[in-house]
Amino acid sequence: MNDQHQIIQQVYAAKEDGQAADRLIGDYMPFIKAETAKFLKRPPIEGHDDELSVAMIAFHEAVHGYSRTRGAFLKYASMLIRSRLIDYRRKEQRHSGVISLDTPLGEDDGTLGDTLADERDHGEELASREATRAEIEELTRQMREFGVSLSDVADNCPRQQRTLEACRRALRHARENPALLDELLRTKRLPVAQLSAGSGIERKTLERHRKYMVALLLIYTNGYEILRGHLMQVMKGAAAG
Amino acid sequence: MNYIVMECHPGYVVLLDEEGRFLKAANLHYQVGQTVRDPVLMKEGPARRPVRWISGGIAAAAACLLFFFGFGYYQNYLMPYSSIYLVINPEVQMNLNRQGTVVSLVGTNEDGVALLEGYDGRGKDKVTVADELVDRAIEMGFLSEGGRVSFSIDAPDEVLFQEYGIELRTGITEHLDGRIMVTIELAASGAGGAVTESSITPESSAESSAPVSSAEPAEPAIVPSAPADTDYGPGNDGVTDYSDTDYGAGSDGVTDYTPPASSAPASADTDYGPGNDGVTDYSDTDYGAGSDGVTDYSPSSADSGYGGDSGYADDDGDDSDDSDDDSDDDDDD
Repeated sequence: MNDQHQIIQQVYAAKEDGQAADRLIGDYMPFIKAETAKFLKRPPIEGHDDELSVAMIAFHEAVHGYSRTRGAFLKYASMLIRSRLIDYRRKEQRHSGVISLDTPLGEDDGTLGDTLADERDHGEELASREATRAEIEELTRQMREFGVSLSDVADNCPRQQRTLEACRRALRHARENPALLDELLRTKRLPVAQLSAGSGIERKTLERHRKYMVALLLIYTNGYEILRGHLMQVMKGAAAG
Repeated sequence: MNYIVMECHPGYVVLLDEEGRFLKAANLHYQVGQTVRDPVLMKEGPARRPVRWISGGIAAAAACLLFFFGFGYYQNYLMPYSSIYLVINPEVQMNLNRQGTVVSLVGTNEDGVALLEGYDGRGKDKVTVADELVDRAIEMGFLSEGGRVSFSIDAPDEVLFQEYGIELRTGITEHLDGRIMVTIELAASGAGGAVTESSITPESSAESSAPVSSAEPAEPAIVPSAPADTDYGPGNDGVTDYSDTDYGAGSDGVTDYTPPASSAPASADTDYGPGNDGVTDYSDTDYGAGSDGVTDYSPSSADSGYGGDSGYADDDGDDSDDSDDDSDDDDDD
């Protein structure tokens, strides 16, 4: 009973704090592995079985979705892990007719993938990934000045298409008025009133998604060319507007 | 769609899609800056919770409203509140709701079942149903000229009984006006017992449109012709008789009982008054030539002179018992 109470406290702390969530996942890793093993009917191999990763995201989902009305946390988490693993297996069954590149080639040590000609430039790809990583690190640092993390942004991101479109309209208005972006960088505060007045979006909508708007506006300040290039759909809307 | 891996955690990664969404997904051995396809995205459960709570609340409120209004509707429109028993020869029970609309019809005898066969009166007004049933009874030969239609009304209160009685009488009278003549009877059914009043349609229907209430008896009970000396009501003389008792200290020696009807003298065979049988008995004497040897004296006469003090002077001139003398007289006869 006391253990259950302690878990619930940890879960509620993990809902608010990303680091606490990471610690909780670390603490309950044996439980997650056990649940995955029940499903796979063998112990999962860390770093190899995707099912273990799916079980971990399911555990994270259980942390966010749990409330006391749902009963014991571990039973709830167990049910959710099993459900997500079933979903994952069904999704993967669509590719059951495809031969894996990791299929061993007879008596040789090589795999099927080794025999295929690789046209990709690994050097360039690695360089691009490093550049992207640098941009992301810079963005994360800049966001920290606003007291916002990427996990927070992911939690604060609009779910509905209509809300997402409203946020894009506010972004377009900010791009058309660079003074607003300058004000954001200078004051470290989101100019909600100007954005609302200029874009016609309700102030309440912008305030509700403040962290998301901060991340999006920061990406459209100087730098972050790779990330802006990735956000093609956002700019398509701007062109149409 | 391509996703850029923005942040890696032990349990999940944060991805950025091409539409500007930041999403959490399973960390399938990803690295920051990597572009991935077909990630296992985290499903959004918590965002739906308030919606579920609200929809649950709305559903509960709707259920409560439905229950209350449904119960009210049931009580007003579906639950039988009163009944009318239609008796021609067929006997039919009409169960009515509070609005006076027929909820169900039951044939309470064989002819009643036959009368209702193929007829559905549910949802119709009681007078309409009564009219239609009377029409069917005429068609089926149950009711003819000079017949009798009896309505026995079982209503929870007197006002409703009066109202239904007037409506039925007026409705049936108007419906049969100029067609056939029948007697309509109205009665209150239930604890008060059946009390009826009849009228003939169509000519004399206007004579009495109000039904007789169950409180008024059809055949009045036997009551004294003159009101007694009571301390209330019409017999009140303004003087209370509380102290005039027939016993104890307040007794004045005079009983105040009204003699019971049975103690009144029985009518003898007299030649006048209520006991007159139309045959004179002048010749039937108890003495002389016309004597038939049978005395016609009423033995219960209050002061016959027999078996008691005759009031005559003692004619035998002694102090012996008078009964002996009386017997002597009889012997003389």
